[in-house]
Amino acid sequence: MVKMSLDPVQVKELNVSPSPNGDSRASWEEEEVEEEEEDRLGIATKTKPVSVTDLSSVSPSLCFRLAARMSRTQKLSLPDSRFPFQEASDRGSSELFTTSLFKVWCLRCPPVAHQWGGASDKVTGRRARKVEGGVFFPKPENAVTVAVSSRVLFRTELEQRVFEQKGVEEYLRYQIEHENEPFAPGPAFPFVKALETVNARLRELYPQSEELFDIVLVTYNHAHVGIRLINTINHHNLFIERFCMTGGSSPIGYLKAWQTNLYLSADADKVREALAEGIAAATMFMTEKLTEVSESQLRVAFDGDAVLFSDESERIFKAHGLDKFFQHEQDNEDTLLDHGPLKGFLEALGKLQKKFYAKGQRLDCPIRTYLVTARSAASSGIRALKTLRAWGLEIDEALFLAGAPKGPMLEKIRPHIYFDDQMFHVEGAAEMGTVAAHVPYGVAQKHNQPQKPGARK
Amino acid sequence: RYREVSFGPTVEDRGVEGTRRGGKSLQKVNERLLEKNPAESLLFDVVLIATDSQQQSSRIISSTSHYGLEVGRFCFSSREDLVETLVVNNVQLFLSTDRDEALQVSQKGVLSALLGRQEAPSESLRVMLCGDAIVRPDCDPVPASRGAAQSFSARLGEMRGRFGVSGSPLSIVLVTSSGGSKSCGVALQTLRSRGLSVDEAYCLAGAPRGPILSLLRPHFLLGDGVIDLED
Repeated sequence: MVKMSLDPVQVKELNVSPSPNGDSRASWEEEEVEEEEEDRLGIATKTKPVSVTDLSSVSPSLCFRLAARMSRTQKLSLPDSRFPFQEASDRGSSELFTTSLFKVWCLRCPPVAHQWGGASDKVTGRRARKVEGGVFFPKPENAVTVAVSSRVLFRTELEQRVFEQKGVEEYLRYQIEHENEPFAPGPAFPFVKALETVNARLRELYPQSEELFDIVLVTYNHAHVGIRLINTINHHNLFIERFCMTGGSSPIGYLKAWQTNLYLSADADKVREALAEGIAAATMFMTEKLTEVSESQLRVAFDGDAVLFSDESERIFKAHGLDKFFQHEQDNEDTLLDHGPLKGFLEALGKLQKKFYAKGQRLDCPIRTYLVTARSAASSGIRALKTLRAWGLEIDEALFLAGAPKGPMLEKIRPHIYFDDQMFHVEGAAEMGTVAAHVPYGVAQKHNQPQKPGARK
Repeated sequence: RYREVSFGPTVEDRGVEGTRRGGKSLQKVNERLLEKNPAESLLFDVVLIATDSQQQSSRIISSTSHYGLEVGRFCFSSREDLVETLVVNNVQLFLSTDRDEALQVSQKGVLSALLGRQEAPSESLRVMLCGDAIVRPDCDPVPASRGAAQSFSARLGEMRGRFGVSGSPLSIVLVTSSGGSKSCGVALQTLRSRGLSVDEAYCLAGAPRGPILSLLRPHFLLGDGVIDLED
């Protein structure tokens, strides 16, 4: 990570009031109340200027107003291509402000419980599978159902090769032969483990509630492989009690029957089918390098356009270039973006987060969400934030990269999963050890073909 | 030696309907078995049992021939004598659209199953087994049809084994409703030890059965007589 200058930048003629820490109301709600007393740009008329680096007292709504003010009163020269952050300190003051502003955006709640670098809290020994109390078989309509295929939960490359080279009979014979050898963890494994950690916390606080994560194994696999899969689940102490082994027929119908909120698969065609049915879905790939992720906090990162939001802005960008894109975003700042395929999943995460907030665990919440977008904070990012706010969705950290590569930022965040619609970013993230999932949605698909051929099943 | 599968209606329309749904697929299995081995003896033999009066009977017979269903035999029996008729005819599986009738018959020791309610467009015969029964080996009282169930699944397994993994005209589907994944694993292993390899497995762990059943569209649902088969 590049060292950015954090020298305080005195902002002249900008009167802001710090928001109190530990406020029980959500910051969005705060802003509504203050609206009446404020001027056109929604900035309170108190006179105490505050240094922008006093980060603990700056709420996102404040940042939001700062940015709005900035874009109108100061002509920021925005780079029209990615600029490397290491040159930031060499540039003029306006860009330095952008950099500082960018840093301000990043921290909604100051990280008290964990470091930026992603602390690894190692749990010694195996977690006891027997849990006392709590709901274990929630009704699908109440739970947040995450369906994973066996190929992303576990590593099955060897078996895949057997299937491709020797056919299905030999493949099944091989699986049965190796029935007592558990598979190794796959790319979705840390994510699923983190979901279970959240469940454990939820059960502590709400033992009778069915609002939990429900993990379902949905695979094309033949039931002959069933025993090996069940042995593997037991071996890794996973809490997966529901599964569908469809023996070759499409699992998409079952996704709907399970009221699936998110489907993760290695097969891009199945993912596309799921997206067409309105189910949030993404393709996952095995990476050799995997950075350590937190074992106590689930971290989910999303791209903005064509993931949380629709791809309308990307269309403009692809068709007419960056300048037209900025213009369009500015003109339409107050028009909400349309929703994208993963908006529903973010919503589901938010609902669970609120359950922790209700019990006073906002700072220690085991779910943290991130927006990692190529949009820029002071201009095109505003529309994104306004849209999220209008949807009533809170996101913990919003990172506006203004075109900079996402890999290094993700490596700092260490999410358990990162969703992006462009293979270019997915691969970039994977190179730096982040588990990234591709959402094959929107106009970007015509331009970015995945590097790996879509494998069978 | 034939595998006797009997369709038992109490109202003849239902019987024909049931026969029609399952019958075509049964026939297909027989055809494929004979293709592989013209001297095959492990085949399905369909017996249609009517428990209504003689007048309706002729209607049944003409209906089945109208639909082109190969019914091996027709039996006419009264309701009270139904079980006896089944035993006398060496019926190994009694199919009905009437849950109570199926329950009654299984309590007397003859394995019975429900006919799937939905139109199953799939060509292959889909037989669904309810795994919860399989996993409770020592439940009290032991269901009367337990022995019949075990031998039937062995024969079914033999039949299934005649075909390969893909393109089989017969599919075996296992569904467990209440236990977790471990108990489904036990069911899979138990069935395998009886010689029956399952094609598809679904572990519901308490999730409502209806939506999954409507996707599975089995022709026959085999339980232990104690399963509440709602769809």
